[in-house]
Amino acid sequence: MTASPPAGGAVPWPARPQVPSAHALYLHLPFCARKCAYCDFASWATRDDDPLVVAYVRALRAQLADLEGLGVLGSVTTAYVGGGTPTLVGARLLGELVADVRRRCSRLTELTCEANPDSLGDDMLEALAESGATRVSIGVQSLSDRELVSLGRIHGAREACERVSAAVESGLDVSCDLMCAIPHQTEASWRESLAGVLGCGVGHVSVYPLAIEDKTALARRLGGTDPAWNDPDVQASRMAQAALILSGAGLTRYEVASYARPGKQCAHNRAYWTGVPYLGLGTGAASMLTREGYLHLRTCCPQLPDPPAGAVRVRLTVRTGRRGLARHPSLAGLSCDLEFLSEREALAEDLMLGARLSSGIAPELVRSAEQTMGERWRQALRDALRKGLVANACGGALAPTERGWLLGNELYGLLWGLARA
Amino acid sequence: MKNDTSHIRNFSIVAHIDHGKSTISDRILEFTHTVGERDMEAQLLDSMDIERERGITIKSNAVRVTYDADDGVTYQFNLIDTPGHVDFTYEVSRSLAACEGAVLVVDATQGVEAQTVSNALLAMNADLDIVCAINKIDLPSAEPERVRAEIEEELALPADSAVCVSGKTGEGIRDLLEAIVYLVSPPSGDVTAPLKALILDSYFDEYRGVVATVRVFDGAIRTGARLQMMATGGTFTCDGVGCKRPLETSLPELGVGEVGYVVTGLKDPALVHVGDTLTDPDRPCDEALPGYHEAKPMVFAGVFPVDNKEYENLREALEKLKVNDPSLTWVPETSVALGFGFRVGFLGLLHMEVVKERLEREFDLDLIATSPSVDYHVFTTAGEMLEIKSPQDLPRPERIDRIEEPCLRATIIVPPDYMGAVMQLVVEHRGVTKDMVYLSEKSVEMHVDIPLAELILDFFDQLKSRTKGYASLDYEFSGYQASNLVKLDILLAGEEVDALSFIVHADKAYALARGLCDRLKGIIPRQQFEVPIQGAIGNKIISRSTVRAVRKDVLAKCYGGDISRKRKLLERQKEGKRRMKQIGTVDVPQEAFLAVLKVDDGA
Repeated sequence: MTASPPAGGAVPWPARPQVPSAHALYLHLPFCARKCAYCDFASWATRDDDPLVVAYVRALRAQLADLEGLGVLGSVTTAYVGGGTPTLVGARLLGELVADVRRRCSRLTELTCEANPDSLGDDMLEALAESGATRVSIGVQSLSDRELVSLGRIHGAREACERVSAAVESGLDVSCDLMCAIPHQTEASWRESLAGVLGCGVGHVSVYPLAIEDKTALARRLGGTDPAWNDPDVQASRMAQAALILSGAGLTRYEVASYARPGKQCAHNRAYWTGVPYLGLGTGAASMLTREGYLHLRTCCPQLPDPPAGAVRVRLTVRTGRRGLARHPSLAGLSCDLEFLSEREALAEDLMLGARLSSGIAPELVRSAEQTMGERWRQALRDALRKGLVANACGGALAPTERGWLLGNELYGLLWGLARA
Repeated sequence: MKNDTSHIRNFSIVAHIDHGKSTISDRILEFTHTVGERDMEAQLLDSMDIERERGITIKSNAVRVTYDADDGVTYQFNLIDTPGHVDFTYEVSRSLAACEGAVLVVDATQGVEAQTVSNALLAMNADLDIVCAINKIDLPSAEPERVRAEIEEELALPADSAVCVSGKTGEGIRDLLEAIVYLVSPPSGDVTAPLKALILDSYFDEYRGVVATVRVFDGAIRTGARLQMMATGGTFTCDGVGCKRPLETSLPELGVGEVGYVVTGLKDPALVHVGDTLTDPDRPCDEALPGYHEAKPMVFAGVFPVDNKEYENLREALEKLKVNDPSLTWVPETSVALGFGFRVGFLGLLHMEVVKERLEREFDLDLIATSPSVDYHVFTTAGEMLEIKSPQDLPRPERIDRIEEPCLRATIIVPPDYMGAVMQLVVEHRGVTKDMVYLSEKSVEMHVDIPLAELILDFFDQLKSRTKGYASLDYEFSGYQASNLVKLDILLAGEEVDALSFIVHADKAYALARGLCDRLKGIIPRQQFEVPIQGAIGNKIISRSTVRAVRKDVLAKCYGGDISRKRKLLERQKEGKRRMKQIGTVDVPQEAFLAVLKVDDGA
């Protein structure tokens, strides 16, 4: 067992496929007071007194106990309770769940809980802090009431500001999510939203252009038209504006859409981008395990098939629905979508994800790519350099340029393309 | 040996497109227990995916059913389903040559339309017994009595014997089958005479070679017999005979008057000509059957593989397709933009679409088709006449004395209210309305002279939309006429794209160039640099638009569960790019090459 690696890059890439356990844990609570217009996540509008909520949380806790029994939580250093709206389940239930995670993951250094302003009362903040959460990530999205209404959010700007400030006061690390290229948004209103959350003293901000996903209320409302407010040029301008304002306030961009004050980066999210194995529990949650980790998990999940020869990485996505999970909490009863990745695919995936980070693709990952893929890699690299999507960074890392960030799909597509020989 | 053909009825079902032939065929198969209801799939005779998806019939198909008639006799019906679109008229005439009768289907809500008229004429000229079926009587808007009157007035067919049916509910199908027994003559023929059989269709089977669909006029065909094809002189040993019910059922023989298939064992599709006559090489018949005149391609387009390595595969695919689509013709063509390909001749636009789709699906090819052109006659100053099927081949303007283009005599049947709209449309398409005849109070037949090049733009779509779908169209080639034509070129990022050039009337060049540049702007995705699009005649730029450089592509969240999704999206994006053609430095989607078709000229 490796000695307490901080989540993210401590285990060098070439050794990573051999790591048998997980370093990050995700718990999904698929409940919301109301479905937002743009949302296509695994989440359903639920009354907070629905007995399903209690049964579901109980089931997650049972699965957590099973994982502990399996000995796979010992190396977990970060945890994240996401949704949906975790805070919808109430202070007592969420507090108990968080405390449970704390108890079972002894090496935890970061525990984030997602929250919505409307369900982040003082009692909730207190419960989170007491039960061992270190961080809240608040879905603010905008500080303009008009924009919030058009997104189908149920909170107002004033309430959001007030709750973000309270969260900062409570001593937890606080992150805010903001959305750009949304209906009614102007350059000025976007500046106000950014300035607003900065004014509350948050240490971390994530900014995303709104993506109009198929089958959402928003897509139906738009009926296949491309609205001017979501034009790629508008998105580009807003992202550039955010970069300027946030860095001016001392928050450094460390991922394409993530900004943090020194020491406030989200270690859990970094795990996703650096090829670190993670476990996910709950409807729609994804796990990423090494072959060894997967074989070990199978000792309590006999329903899972043999990994094919040559697979070094497995991604599992829980397909069991909320009710099914609440009724049959056993890990052995879960149904999962499975994806098996070859070494080459795992490498290409890590290159693709590494290109999202401002630190870029780590030097040892670059070396692995060079060794494994030879001329193909050099060709892709030349291509990316020529198109100005990446630049050589310190110590042999490859960092995305501003252009590489904006034209992300071009760059990620180029890197993921290496998965196919 | 049977020599009695009194129990056989050979007939085709003909109709204007969408009047319900295939549905009626399905009901007949069901009613005669040829197919169990359990196995019933809509449009059974349309075996191609394209046919089922689009709800159209492209290929003829011969099926045998047995029918226990009211007179106590069991009849053998050979039913030949035929296409309804004007592009495929030659298929209809081929089918009719194998029949004694035709069921003319008329939609009870639409009445007689242009193709109804032309199909009725084809059947009358082939001397067939015609049974009229008024279909879709289950619909509330059905007007069987009005349609009956139209059949009498417009087709001069006795309508009192017309049968009212519903292909949807099956109502009247038995009456239709009885009418076929009584109104269609049994085949005549002599079983003792030398073999005389018509090849009416053929297809290629990897294992058995060419399989021919035939109609026996005299004699009989047995497995093991030596057979000769009279036009080509080729011989083969018959590897088996049978009929389709609708699956292939082998039979000991195909007797006189019967329709069925013959396995030739021949491995080269080119050896079997549709329309040829089969006979006995040791005792040949005196005279071959008339056969068909070859269908003449009217529309020509460049067809190129997206990946030039597929060129040979495309050639093979075209050869295989020609087996059961003898109207296909092609010559090699080279394009600077698209590489090596073929200039393919088609019967019309639908035929072009269908062929391209069949090539892509049945032979797994990725193809680009350029905008269609017609066969221009270019007279040079040196006094020679060149047949120009591709804009690329047009000589320099100073070498051209004049250009003539193919023209059509079109028949349009439309309710009187829309006459004005149609005349307007005809004028916009450089046509002339020659005359019009009231067929009844509710329909006028207009005769129009129009250049073929105009018709293959968007004439038919426009006709349908401006008449709320009421107009129907039929046409035939009328001759060549001189016209003031120029070559319009399109430049992408300063480079001329030969595959986007087309020949156009000088008066329309500016409007078309402007429309085309705007349209291409919408089709060509934004690239990492600005792409100017220009229209030019000779060296003169006459229109311009610009595709702005992309500043940003889609950025999505990418946490644990999003990663697989992200990868799939990137793969789709790559697939989309692979299907685009790189011209110079610009990625051009395939639709761009057809953009000229959809240009809303003038407006």
